[in-house]
Amino acid sequence: MQTEVIDSIKFSILSPDEAKKLSVVKLTVPDTYNEDGYPIEGGLLDQRMGVIDPGLLCKTCGARAKSCPGHFGRIELVRPVMHSEFSKIVYTILQSTCRNCHRLLLSDEHIQEYRSALTKLENAVEDVEPEAIEERVEAGSLPMLKRLKNMKKCERCGTSKGKLKFSAPTYFYVDDYKLKPDEIRDLLSKISQEELEILGIDAGTSRPEWLVLSILLVPPVNVRPSITLESGERSEDDLTHKLVDIMRINLRLEQNLNAGAPQIIIDDLWELLQYHVTTYFNNETASIPPARHRSGRALKTLAQRLKGKEGRFRYNLSGKRVNYSARTVISVDPNINLDEVGVPLEIASKLTVPFYVTTWNIDKARELLARSEYPMAINVISKDGKRKRVIDLNREELIKELQPGDIMERQLMDGDVTLFNRQPSLHRVSIMSHKAKVLKGRTFRMNYCVTPPYNADFDGDEMNLHVPQNLEAQAEASYLMSPQYQVFSPRDGDAIITNNEDGITGMYLLTKDDTYLTKEQAVYILSIAKVYELPKPTKDGLYRGKDIFSAMLPKGLDFTGKSSKAPFVIKDGKLVDGVVTKETFGRGDNKLLVKIGKDYGAEVLKDFIFVSAKVADAYVTLMGVTVGVKEYTTSSKLEAERVRLLEETFGKINELIAQYRTRKLEPLIGYTLRQSLERMIIAELNLVRDKAGETLLKYETSEENAAVEMTRSGSRGSVLNIEQMTMFLGQQATLSGGRIKRGYYTNRVLPHIVPGDVRPGARGFVSTSYYSGLAPTDLFMHAVGSRSSEVYKALLTARSGYLYRRLSNALQDYCVDHDYSVRDANNNLIETIYGGDAVNPVFVQFQKLAADEDK
Amino acid sequence: MAENKNEYSVEYGDPVGMIAAQSVGEPGTQMILRSFHLAGIESTISTSGLPRIIELVDAKKKPSTPITYIYLDGKIGKDFDKATETLKKINEVRMSSIAKRILENFSKGKIKVVLDKQELESEGITIKQVAAKIDKALNLESKVEDNGVVVNMHTRNLKEIRAATINIMKMLVSGVDGAGKATIRRDDKTGEFYLVSAGSNIEGIMQVEGVDKERTTTNDVFAIYRLFGIEAARNALAFELKKTLKEQKISVDERHLNLIADAMTASGSIKGVGRHGLSGEKHSVFARAAYEETLKHLIHAAAFGEVDPMRGVTENILVGKQIPIGTGSVKLAIKKEDMAKIKPASHK
Repeated sequence: MQTEVIDSIKFSILSPDEAKKLSVVKLTVPDTYNEDGYPIEGGLLDQRMGVIDPGLLCKTCGARAKSCPGHFGRIELVRPVMHSEFSKIVYTILQSTCRNCHRLLLSDEHIQEYRSALTKLENAVEDVEPEAIEERVEAGSLPMLKRLKNMKKCERCGTSKGKLKFSAPTYFYVDDYKLKPDEIRDLLSKISQEELEILGIDAGTSRPEWLVLSILLVPPVNVRPSITLESGERSEDDLTHKLVDIMRINLRLEQNLNAGAPQIIIDDLWELLQYHVTTYFNNETASIPPARHRSGRALKTLAQRLKGKEGRFRYNLSGKRVNYSARTVISVDPNINLDEVGVPLEIASKLTVPFYVTTWNIDKARELLARSEYPMAINVISKDGKRKRVIDLNREELIKELQPGDIMERQLMDGDVTLFNRQPSLHRVSIMSHKAKVLKGRTFRMNYCVTPPYNADFDGDEMNLHVPQNLEAQAEASYLMSPQYQVFSPRDGDAIITNNEDGITGMYLLTKDDTYLTKEQAVYILSIAKVYELPKPTKDGLYRGKDIFSAMLPKGLDFTGKSSKAPFVIKDGKLVDGVVTKETFGRGDNKLLVKIGKDYGAEVLKDFIFVSAKVADAYVTLMGVTVGVKEYTTSSKLEAERVRLLEETFGKINELIAQYRTRKLEPLIGYTLRQSLERMIIAELNLVRDKAGETLLKYETSEENAAVEMTRSGSRGSVLNIEQMTMFLGQQATLSGGRIKRGYYTNRVLPHIVPGDVRPGARGFVSTSYYSGLAPTDLFMHAVGSRSSEVYKALLTARSGYLYRRLSNALQDYCVDHDYSVRDANNNLIETIYGGDAVNPVFVQFQKLAADEDK
Repeated sequence: MAENKNEYSVEYGDPVGMIAAQSVGEPGTQMILRSFHLAGIESTISTSGLPRIIELVDAKKKPSTPITYIYLDGKIGKDFDKATETLKKINEVRMSSIAKRILENFSKGKIKVVLDKQELESEGITIKQVAAKIDKALNLESKVEDNGVVVNMHTRNLKEIRAATINIMKMLVSGVDGAGKATIRRDDKTGEFYLVSAGSNIEGIMQVEGVDKERTTTNDVFAIYRLFGIEAARNALAFELKKTLKEQKISVDERHLNLIADAMTASGSIKGVGRHGLSGEKHSVFARAAYEETLKHLIHAAAFGEVDPMRGVTENILVGKQIPIGTGSVKLAIKKEDMAKIKPASHK
């Protein structure tokens, strides 16, 4: 539970008086260290502003570097300067007010009009949130601003407004006379509070004349620490450099003023001071050259510290660094459950979990405290908040002192709740809670069935592990973020944690109609599923694969798959008919996992996925499944078929071209003759691709061919993949989605092609296969296609990343209220009932299934 | 509604907005090059995939490829010839597309428009019609001369003649202004003819006789907004999002897409999700500053004395508070002090 609460934060402008009060020292010397390497008093690293060197004491608060929060100093500018970032607002105010009577240019009636509109608005919406009013007032004042801008003279005293010109970033001219900052300040300070309120400015906290700076607040030294280089040289922060510049010019200006220097010199220095202050706030101010370091690198000043992806807001405030985390390479272990993660001992002994000492567990705590190897205590935090590291010297003492209410930090142990994450964290299942399982080795181990939500593979991927540090967090993590509750994707309710790869191949092979196992094999497989009861054998003393699969199903399951290809029927927990494929586990209408999840709950579902994957692996290992060149070696029959198919298609296309040439081609409705021809050719080429796939499956019927078997089971590879390896690559496409048409000049792809040739080969159709090897021209076409898709991919990831950022930023505040309406942060109604029916998308498949069953 | 709650319902505090954003954002990278699924005969040339999603979510005033699907009234839709007739009423033809060239004779004050016979024929327009159009537009008499129309300007003012020429070039010869080039299509299932036009002046198109006003629709969300209002625009937006994702074979529950459409239209007008739309209009200064244009928002907040109410996600993360979403939105119903006042219920 959080105790301190920030209710709201108000923004305002710092007044010179406040700045004076806030600062602890007036800085006078434009330098940092003296010859002895000691901070100069009154200099920019004055020790009254805090210290950065360890061991030194702050001269204001007396604390050491670590605990001193730092204190502001100030520079008193001898001549005031404009705050460049606010000059646009100053311009608006100057434009709206009279320089003679210092009131708004409008007559009393007009002002009254606006004011009454304002109060009316305020009274009418008294029960509405104050911010809402503010927003409306701002919007309401816009037409007024426009009106003021166009006013030529004051309606009250008749003084002409003159030609007011604003030249970014800080110059103002009236009828070509340049206004000095102090003149601007005088003008602004004479505007009354009421007038400013009409403009929407909260004059109580933000007087506009404070935008003309006479006192510059200097941030504490720990905001701009100096670094000691290896050579012993001191290197100052960019801000310090800039402040030195400001002070130097300020001092020179003062000296010149005192010496009574000519006005032109004073003005020059004044302008220089303005430049330095401007770049101190923002070194990327438009129409001003950025201040540079000696090396030519532009200085990073205040604005640059806040802005952008690496700025304070996005880098340090929206994203924070954390303790209690670890990162290493991941690898597979099918013996680890879905909701577990194998943690290397090395990591487990560094990460700690709080152990809340009570009267009931104090003995256990003492036991851990007494240990000096792996499961041991690291720190003891006594009730008064003092943290002591457990070392051999103080162990005995700590054991004695330990009492209920203390918190002991122990090493990570089996069963501890952890959060496991892989970046990019694109959706909520990119972070899930896994129970720790401390193992030998140096990688995180995970079950491969949970890789899809993380989009992880084991080719060197690294993942992060976090340890929640209080009971509330641990409880939330294990009840809301555990993989068993995340099996179904919040995107569409389909299973996202499922069997995949070998987990499917094995199940497929096991449940085929002609799969029989010997008793030895059956016992082995069943023992992996932890089933110690053999199903009924056949006459020959063999065991059906389907029966072995049935042994893993929950008791009494009735299920009929809706797969279009083959029936899939489970009756009373027995697989009666059908073969397990990707469809059985995965997406689409075949919802075995949905059924189990709905009728038996998350725990059973998790175990089913885990056990079936493990069994599948064991079976694949037992039988041996491998893919090699032989899978992609074409028979002469298939080769002949390939040649025939291509010849047939090319023949048809040549005919189409001939018809086009003689204008006999019947154009498609809505297309020109030329477009029609192109579309027809593309259609033909698509057709031959599909036909080739069919032919392939027709000829490669042998179940010996592992590649085709994998495709059939849906575990890996598509018909198209095999087709490209054995038959031909097919059409290569470009970014625009059409056939390749340019590359060499005059309307052709390669020099040897006749310009205007529209035949397949000339436009990127590759009729050779990976197995046979690509013809030189084909290789070129293939390279065009590859490059194109590579370029597109790079483009797409950047674009979709930004889309995601914008979407999540816009929608992140929306959540469901008690009445199922969707509200934003200010309780505005977005949807009256979420989705129209308040159904959680995670459960849409459950609901569909329930509806089907009710029928 | 509350009584219909069951185990499949959403729960109080569910961050449905974030989940909707993730559901669209996460598959973004999966929207692949249409390389192997080259356009078949049926598909159109409209923007699709990620660019289209971005366009919709940005609330672009005009889609990069506006398309109107014009359905025809019963009988006309069945008859190719009648459908073609309607097509000609709609299909936007500009003078510049049928004129071979325009000759200006400044000394005589005449303009001659030489027409392309082939184009005229294919658009089904006669030279006389063209002449009549010009007469009406310029309020002058023009003559038909072999392959063109001659306009006598009765002036030798260069400026006037040039202005008239430009006017003539831009002139709408036939069809509906802003309807774009229309083509005829046939629905393979029903055998019905319908029109597809590359423009989105749905208002103008619907006034053409024979157009089925109920089924005719466009992919231009703003055109629908202008003609039918915000609720229709919300539906159109959600429909377009669904269609685009379906084309890419990405399954996303419609509730997510509906929420995005609802969020964009909740204010009564269509707002994009970017810095000029929903994100830029948040109340929280910090949320806006942490998103984009950090300085602008901070400066404005200081000058106008804005108050950050600290009710959203971003601002609470910034200051290290618990976020008011999900389990963080649960508050105590009774204050600790008030607990003492409550007497324990007596059990009988």
